[in-house]
Amino acid sequence: MSMRSQVYEWANLAPGGAGSTLSRSNTDTVVPVPANVSTDIFIGGIGNNITKPAETTATQFIVIEDISCTPWVAGAVQVRINTTDYFQNPDVTQMNGVPGLASPYPRGCPSNLTLNAANPAFTPDNLLKSFDLYPDVYVLPGQVFQILYTTSTSSSGAVGTAPTTANSATVMCFVKYTLYDGPDALIANKLLELGVTINPNNVDWYKRSLIEQQTRSAVAATAAAAGGQA
Amino acid sequence: MSMRSQVYAWNGNSFIGAAPAFAAGTGQFGTAQSGVQTSIFIGGFGNNITKPAETTATEFVVIEDVSCTPTLPASGAATSAAPLAIGQLAGWILNAAGPGTFGPRAYLQVRINTTDYFLNPDNVTNDGIPGTSSPYPRSLDFQPSFNLYPDVYVLPGQVWDVRYTAYAAAANWGTATLNAATNGADHNAFCKYTLYDGPDALIANKLLEMGISINPGNVDWYKRSLLSAQGM
Repeated sequence: MSMRSQVYEWANLAPGGAGSTLSRSNTDTVVPVPANVSTDIFIGGIGNNITKPAETTATQFIVIEDISCTPWVAGAVQVRINTTDYFQNPDVTQMNGVPGLASPYPRGCPSNLTLNAANPAFTPDNLLKSFDLYPDVYVLPGQVFQILYTTSTSSSGAVGTAPTTANSATVMCFVKYTLYDGPDALIANKLLELGVTINPNNVDWYKRSLIEQQTRSAVAATAAAAGGQA
Repeated sequence: MSMRSQVYAWNGNSFIGAAPAFAAGTGQFGTAQSGVQTSIFIGGFGNNITKPAETTATEFVVIEDVSCTPTLPASGAATSAAPLAIGQLAGWILNAAGPGTFGPRAYLQVRINTTDYFLNPDNVTNDGIPGTSSPYPRSLDFQPSFNLYPDVYVLPGQVWDVRYTAYAAAANWGTATLNAATNGADHNAFCKYTLYDGPDALIANKLLEMGISINPGNVDWYKRSLLSAQGM
C-alpha cells in the first residue's frame, strides 16, 4: 500500500561508448544515437537500461506526470502505452513527441549545443518549459509502457561521417511518475471509473471518504442496537 | 510539542575556507568514492553527524525535498582544456575519456531502515533522484524538474538515510579551482524535512491512519477540530 514519487533518467552513456549498461559507472562515455530511430530509454540498447520492459503488475497503477529531454540535436520524447503512441499529429499520423525545446532537461539549460572537436559551444540562454504534461498519462494495471527518444539529426555533429563517441552529443531523457501500489492502485482504478483525476490528494480523499462512511455505519449500527434494547 | 522545519546540507569537502590538497583518509570526498553510495549523514566524507539519522518513539519526520549538484550534458568531443564558462557549474571540465558531461553525474537516494525509496520501472533499486532534475543550489541555469510529492514519511523508531552517488571520472571530479578536482568541494547535497515532536507526532500518526497528508496545516486543522469537539 503506497504512493511513491519516482523518476527515471536516461543518458546515452555506457562503458566504452557502445551499447547499454544496467548500472552507471565512471567509465561511461557517449554512445552515438542514430537519426530518426525511436530509442526506448528503458530497454533500447543504448545508454543506461533496465532489466525488462517497463510494465505495471496487476496491483500497480502508474501516472506519468512529466517527460523531458535535452533540447539539442532536435531531440523529442514520446510515450507509448502497449502499442499506441500518446502524441500524434493533427492528421493522426505519427510524430516524434514532445520536443526537448518545449520540455527541456535539465530545465534552464542552454537551448543549443554546437558540437566542436575541442570545445562544445552552448547558446548563452536559459531554456524554460513551454509544455506541461497535463492531464497526466495513466498506465493501467497490466500495461506495458515505453518512453521513446528520437533525434532527427542524429547525436553526431559530423554529417556524412560515421558517428563516434568523439563527435557525438550527450543527450538525456527524464520521466517523473507516481507509482500506486496495492490498495492505492485499487483506489486509483476506482477514481478512474468515477472520472476523478488520479493524484495523491484524490486518493487520500477517497480513503477519507471510506473511513467516514465506515464511521457513520458504525454509529448508525450502535444507535440501532441501543434503540432495540430500549 | 512542536513542528519544526529542518534542513541538512552536505558538502564533500569537510574543510572551511580554502580547501587543502587531497590526502587519503582525511574525510575528503575523493575520486575513490566514484560510483559508491555514500551517506550524507554518517558516510565518513565531508560534514557528518554523530549517529545515524533516526526518529525516537515521540518523533515523526516528513522529508519534503532532496537535491544535489546538477550535471550538464555536453558531448564526447571536448577535452580537458575546455572548462565550462557559464552557470553554477562554471569551472567544471570535460575530458575526452570522460562521460561527456559537466558536473558530477550525482544522484540522491532516500533509504528508510533497509528499503530504498526510488526504484526503476522494473522494481530494481536505482541511484535515486538525479541532481539534474532536483538541483542544489538552484539557479537560472538549473531549475527543478522534480518535486518530492507525495512526501516521504519516517515513522517513529525508524532509521533513515540520504545517500549520495556520483559517477564522474577522476579527471572530471570537480572544478579546477580550489583544488577541488580531488577533494570533492563541488559535491553538494541538501535535504529539507519537517520534524514533528511529542503530541504533534501523535497527531501525525493519527493523520496517517486517516489517510490525510501530513503537513503543518493539517496538523493544525486536527488540533482545531479537537478543540472545537471540546466546545472551545
